Amino acid sequence: MRRFLRHNSLSLVFLALFVLALVFQAIAGHADFNEDQARHGNAELSLGRYVVSSEFATAVLENWQSEYLQFTLFIILTVWLIQRGSPESKEPHRAGRESDEQQMIGEHAHDASPGWARVRGWRLRLYENSLLIVMGVIWLGSWLAQSITGVAEYNAERLDHQQLPVSWSEYLTRGDFWEKTLQNWQSEFLAVGSMAILAVYLRQRGSPESKPVGAAHHSTGTEG
Amino acid sequence: MGVLARTTCVAVAACVLAVGCGTAEREADLIAVSDSFHAALAARDGSGACAELSSEAAETVARAEQRPCPEAILGLDLPAGARASGAEVYVTSGYAQLLGADVVFLDDGPAGWKVTAAGCTPSSPGEPYDCELGG
Repeated sequence: MRRFLRHNSLSLVFLALFVLALVFQAIAGHADFNEDQARHGNAELSLGRYVVSSEFATAVLENWQSEYLQFTLFIILTVWLIQRGSPESKEPHRAGRESDEQQMIGEHAHDASPGWARVRGWRLRLYENSLLIVMGVIWLGSWLAQSITGVAEYNAERLDHQQLPVSWSEYLTRGDFWEKTLQNWQSEFLAVGSMAILAVYLRQRGSPESKPVGAAHHSTGTEG
Repeated sequence: MGVLARTTCVAVAACVLAVGCGTAEREADLIAVSDSFHAALAARDGSGACAELSSEAAETVARAEQRPCPEAILGLDLPAGARASGAEVYVTSGYAQLLGADVVFLDDGPAGWKVTAAGCTPSSPGEPYDCELGG
């Protein structure tokens, strides 16, 4: 058990942080929602009803979709794009999908390679893109869910001001949807871009996200 | 499927269900309140009509007309006896489309649906409806 915890501590700690943050977001969001409802003379919601409301769902999903977009883009763009000196980047001469030998697939697979890396055909095609596919599906799924819950929240606001609701497709053309989307995208792009460039010159001893402290600034793709 | 992916799927499904489930029932409840409100007006039952108003709307009517709500509401130009032909609800807000161009707006609170604005007709495109009561 201790061994399992030690070997999976990174995932487990982030899972625990996620759950804690989500719980406190629900509590804080509930308080804020009811404050706003009281200000507008509207009915308050119980915590139980708030966490299944479109208000809470939109607040959660607009962040999820942008996080998964960030990783989806990072996974696909780092296949071809390079940042010289960054531990997040490959060496310039390795740009692209790389050879079967470099990727240890087919006849170049070794004993511990996953089963689908050793075979050819659709299973290899699927497996060699599986990370991108899953992250991309979660991104699109959470973005779709954000639009569905977002239109409910948007329409509730319209009804409070004696305006009729809009359809889902009409909502996709409204500033509310794109503002909620882009305010998250821009922060993710900034964070990833700054990480790529800052890691060229700055170090964190012991972190695989950084190069070794003594590594040269121009050393690319080395992790410490 | 990983823990994160599973959590995501469950959460997305819960959100979709939260938006979709129970909507028809809530719309039916809203329509019943709207019909009861307009039926009370047709019966000249001011108390019955005011009982279907939100407390804020009832206070607004009484203050504007300088009379108790049950008297004041019968003096307003509202579509007495109008029946709802459809309704939509979002979070705690909703509206009913009446036969004709009128619309009534309601809010869902601890006491169920209550009318917040009535006798509402379209104004300029994109602008809020003009309402005889509330709004």
